[in-house]
Parts: sequence; C-alpha cells; structure tokens
Amino acid sequence: MENKVVAMLLAGGQGSRLKALTRKIAKPAVPFGGKYRIIDFALSNAANSGISDIGILTQYKPYLLNTHIGIGTAWDYDRNVGGLRVLPPFTSEDGGRWYTGTANAIYENIDYIDELDPQYVLILSGDHIYKMDYRQLLKAHKEKGADVTIAVIEVPWEEASRFGIINVDDNKKVVEFDEKPKNPKNNMASMGIYMFNWKHLRKYLIKDSKDKESAHDFGKNILPNMLSEGRLMYAWSFDGYWKDVGTVRSYWEANMDLIDRDNALNIYDKGWRIYTKSKNLPPHYLSRSSVVKNSLINEGCVVRGEVHNSVLFSEVIIESGAVVTNSVVLSNSKIMPGAEVHNAVILEGVTIKEGERIGEEGDGNIYLVTEKGYTIE
Amino acid sequence: MENCLGVINIGEGEGNFGSLCKNRPVYMLPFGGRYRLIDFTISNMVNYGIRTVAVFTGEKIRSTMDHLGNGKPWDLNRRFNGLFLFPPIQKPFGRNGDIAELYSTFDFFEQCKEEYVLIVHPNNIGSVNLNEAYKKFIETDADITLFYKKQIDPWGEYINCDKILLDRNNGFINMGLNLGTEKEFNMFIGMGFIKKKVLMEIVKKSMENGDANYLKQSILISKDRYKINTYEFKGHIEHINNIKSYYNANLNLLNKDISQELFFGGGPVFTKAKDEPSTLYTETSRVHNSLIANGCIIEGSVENSIIFRGVKIGKNAIVKNSILMQKSEVLENAIVVNTIMDKYSIIDRGIRLAGSSVMPYVVEKSQTIRKE
Repeated sequence: MENKVVAMLLAGGQGSRLKALTRKIAKPAVPFGGKYRIIDFALSNAANSGISDIGILTQYKPYLLNTHIGIGTAWDYDRNVGGLRVLPPFTSEDGGRWYTGTANAIYENIDYIDELDPQYVLILSGDHIYKMDYRQLLKAHKEKGADVTIAVIEVPWEEASRFGIINVDDNKKVVEFDEKPKNPKNNMASMGIYMFNWKHLRKYLIKDSKDKESAHDFGKNILPNMLSEGRLMYAWSFDGYWKDVGTVRSYWEANMDLIDRDNALNIYDKGWRIYTKSKNLPPHYLSRSSVVKNSLINEGCVVRGEVHNSVLFSEVIIESGAVVTNSVVLSNSKIMPGAEVHNAVILEGVTIKEGERIGEEGDGNIYLVTEKGYTIE
Repeated sequence: MENCLGVINIGEGEGNFGSLCKNRPVYMLPFGGRYRLIDFTISNMVNYGIRTVAVFTGEKIRSTMDHLGNGKPWDLNRRFNGLFLFPPIQKPFGRNGDIAELYSTFDFFEQCKEEYVLIVHPNNIGSVNLNEAYKKFIETDADITLFYKKQIDPWGEYINCDKILLDRNNGFINMGLNLGTEKEFNMFIGMGFIKKKVLMEIVKKSMENGDANYLKQSILISKDRYKINTYEFKGHIEHINNIKSYYNANLNLLNKDISQELFFGGGPVFTKAKDEPSTLYTETSRVHNSLIANGCIIEGSVENSIIFRGVKIGKNAIVKNSILMQKSEVLENAIVVNTIMDKYSIIDRGIRLAGSSVMPYVVEKSQTIRKE
C-alpha cells in the first residue's frame, strides 16, 4: 500500500547504567513519571501518529515488558488488521541466536516486514522520553525524496560525544556520520529514530548480515555504509522535549522535570495522550496531617507525612512524621514514621524504616535505594 | 460460582436525585473519585467468579452504554458468557415493572447454562463475600436467599428502606418497610440468590395472574410456596436512595476502614480507564483529609472532599466537604463548601458557593457559575 509505514521498536535494551533499576527488567520497562513505563512514550507516539503496524523487538529480561505490552490493548493495537507483534529472538534450521545489534534485530525479522509489504520502515527505540508526531518525519522524508531520514536533536556540547553526531550541509543533507566522536564537530545528535525506504534498507540489511566484521548496528554500520554509497540521507530536526534516561541521574532529572507545571513534555496534553496499562487502583488519599507541595502523586498512595518536590508512583505510603524531598518513589514503597529521604530514587516495594535518614538536602548526590541499602550516584 | 448468573436489576423506583440523575440512572452516579456505583456491583460479581452478567439498564441508557460497552474493564468481553445489556422495551406486554422486563428476556434465561441467579440492586455499595453467601444458599438448598444487614439507625436515615422480619430462629417471615420505630432493624440490602427455575416460575406466574408488577412483590406473594432463607452481611453497606445518602456515601470514603473495605475488601474495583496522568500539586496547594483521583492540577486548598479525575483547583481557591466530579474546575479565589459539582461544571473566579451540611448544593453538569 502506498505510504504504508511499519514501525520497528527496539525494546531489548539492558540499560546497565541504570543499575538496580534494570536489575530485573529491560530498560523500556522501567517505570517513569508516576504511572508510565519508558516504552509507553514511543508506543503512544506511534498510536497517536496513526501507525497501524508495530513490531516490538524484545530480548533482555522481557517478562515484565511482555506483561506490560500484552496484545497492545492500552495503545489500541489489539486489532483484527495490523496491530502489534512482539518479536523475540528465535531459532531456525541454522541454529538459534540472540539479536547481535540493532540492525541484526531488524534483519532477523525481514519476514515479518515483507509480509506487511510497507513502503517505509520506521526504526524506534523504546528507551526515550519524548512526544513526537512521526507523520512530520514521514512528510519531511517524502518531501526530500530521501532514502533515509534521521531525527536529530541539539544536545548540550559537553554531552555530544555520548551520541551519534550528524554533520549536514545547508540543505540538511547528511554528509558525515560520527558515532560517539571524541571531538564532535557538531551538537546535532541522532535520536535513534530513522525513516527508511524499505526496499533500500532491506538490501543493506542482507549485505550487512554477511559482513563478518560488522557490529550489525545502524549507527556504526548501516548508516555509514549507505552514506558512502551515496544514498540520499537527510536530517530532520526535532525541537521538543527529549530525554535519554540512560543514567540514574538523568532518570531522576527526567522525573523531576514533570513537576514543573510548564514543563515542555506536558503529560496533561489531551491532544497527545500517553497511554499505559491500567492498574485499577483507587484515588490517593492525603490525610489531615499531610503536607504536599510541588509533587506528582499517583493512584493508590496514602500520604500522612510531608512530600516536597517529589514524584510518588502508585500505592506508595508516606507515614506521619516522614519527610520526602526531591525524590522519586516507585510503586508499593513505604516511608515509615519519622523517616527522612532526600534526593533519592527509591525502588519498588522498598520500606524505609522508622527514623531512618537517607540523603542530605542540597548535597548534590542522588541516592539509589534498594531493599538492601543505598548507593550514591 | 460458575453455575451462577449475575443479574443487575433496578426494580422499583429510583428515588429523587434532582439534576444529578437528569440524564443518568442512579447506578451510573460517579462515586469515589473515579468509579460509578455499578462498578462495585459488577466488580464484586466478577471477583467472585461470576462469568455471565445481565444488566437491565432502565431508560437513561446512553451513559450506561458508554460506560459498560462490551464489558472489557470487567473482563466480561468474552466469547463464552460475558456481559448482556437489556435496554427497556416500551411497556412490555402492556405492563409496567420488572416482571414484564424479566419475562421479555426469558430466552436469555432459558439459554444460559447457569442454574442459579444472583440478583443485585446496584444502588447498594458493599464488598460482599459472595462465596460465603453462595455456600449457605447451596448447602441449605434454599429456593431464595435474601441478604440483610443489622442496621443501627438512631437518626432515622433509613426510614422507608426495606426491612426483613425474622422469627426467633432467624427464619424468614416477611419483608416490610422500616418506619423508624426501632433503633436497629434488619435492612434488606437489595441482593439475593434464587434458583433460576424458581425465578422463571415466579415471573411466569405473576405475568399470568397479574398479581404483581415487581419481582419483590411477586416473591413475597409466593413466599409460602418456596424455601426462603436469609444471609446476614456483616460488613459496610452504602444504601444510596437520595442526594443526601449519595453525598454521605462519598464522604464516608474518607474513613480509612470503610475505604479499605470497599476498595480492597474483595479484590480490585474495575472501571473504564481514562489515561489520566498523576495529579500535580503546586507550591501553593494545601490538601487535607481528601481522596484525589488522577489527572488533577491542584493549586488551592482542599479539605474533606472527594476529587474526581481531571479536576482543576486554582490558586487561593477553597474546596471543603464537597464532591467534585470529573473535569470540573474551581477557579482562583473561589470558595466551594458542602457542594456536589457535576461533570464539566465550572465555578468562576471569586465566587462563593455553599450548601448546608444537611443538604449539599448541586451544580449541574456543564454549568458555569459566574457573577452576573
């Protein structure tokens, strides 16, 4: 069908820099913003952009991720025609193998895409927080008649070497692709979102699969190969909120960003809702003794103590006399009477004992708290 | 309980709810920040393993259709069994009342494999242990088991409620009306088990004889022919039959024991999801003793109130002893006390609005209250 787009969402990421947050789950399944998981943003973007087919490539500890995604009901992807497919690694006649890179994950699922026979394939990553209308990306892609269009965003110069950096000419045509350069010439980073013409991508994936030297990665192999062979590659600038929550600190920051009423992400935007699986919890309760300021509180919480500048996920209990500031408290955690928590990320189901103190206000550290204790970030 | 069918039936009358029920049946009244009354009844049924639920919707069917849909939130969107909605038909067989309605759906009852029926009036909210009651019903081989609660009523709040009369051995005698002559009475909580065969017999007989229009009457007329016993429910029940009891039932959720029992007593309460983000409290917010749903932005003060999904409360606004339904707004410096705000209603800047604690003020759906 003309203009048909199939989205391929890479959701196998381990996210090892998130430490205890990804001990049991893949990075896209990490809870975020009170009631979401990171992958909800990409999935909601796809649903809101009218993309009807989406393949989800899973690999690393996928149990919770699969449970969360299910058959895609929350994003309206449980359909008769099209919809969502979870695509884990598999074995075939010539043996079983894990996905060895981003490009390899797509290569292994060529059959899935071929069956849908799209004109375009949109590669997405499940570990970023952002709202994007992929139709705008497709529009730019078609207007330029490109073979591939890469979504790019300006990142702070000091962070540029963490990303794939794109150098473009005046017409936004990509001239050079630097994967994690030591001395970036530019601060235009690839967001890991690519719109490909399927028939070209297909060829490069097959060629790449035969290359024993290749890391089978879009940034390291496929894109540089396409560029060197003169394929038309353009950059498309995104200027909204975008966060790669790669580290505990950036995870904490991205959660904190939501507390600002005028934050650029604006999860209250009815024109671009973020969908997630419902937990069927009652509203939260703030008692007579509670003090809640500048905070985001989700369903099922009971607050009897003080909460300042914090994000509470579902069913968190803050007992009377407890104080929580500048913290992110994941589901089912309990802060007992008289305990104090500052600048912390508290994992799911952790109890902070009576009178215990974690963190200091304004010491600049982030404390990652598990049931075994805490580490300083 | 696979052998039991759930029937939700509003029976006689709906009571007087003024503008709150202009366009919705009583069982569709918003309750507890994100639910409708009927959510509790249906969740109670499915949490105890009832797989087929039939709802006699009554006339104001649009909000019911929108909310219940195909029954997905309750896992009732099934290939086998599931949710059945029975909209009213105009005076079936020229008769008023639920006997005629039940008779008009005889095919459904005949085709269902279930042998027993749980009939519930959805204006009663409670977490009833159906397993326990079902066990008694089956073990005693009763034709009908009626549920009651020993209700203490020093203030006469339950006058005109149905009263169950029992003999010394707790045997069922009859059902009458509570006239407030006793401090404690056995209140019928609008639930009962009945053998499907018996139900169909009773309905058919009343259709034939024309002796009753309502199932309750019909059962009482033939009470000597069947084995009727009772089950005492010892938990908390909210019997919602007017604006005042609706208002009180909501505010009762601020009592920890009551909310624990209703929300978590017999498993989760399911409702239609709305995808609202968490609620945001700003630097100026002050909230005490309140139940607050998701999607709200709270900049003012809230006390002893139930706040539904997506409500906005502006700076220096004060909300007290009130129920604010979905997407209602109280703008800056406005004061709202002892009030029920229906969905999408707005109180403009600086307006002061107060009902009394005896009778709350009701702001109609989508109404804006402003000066001039």
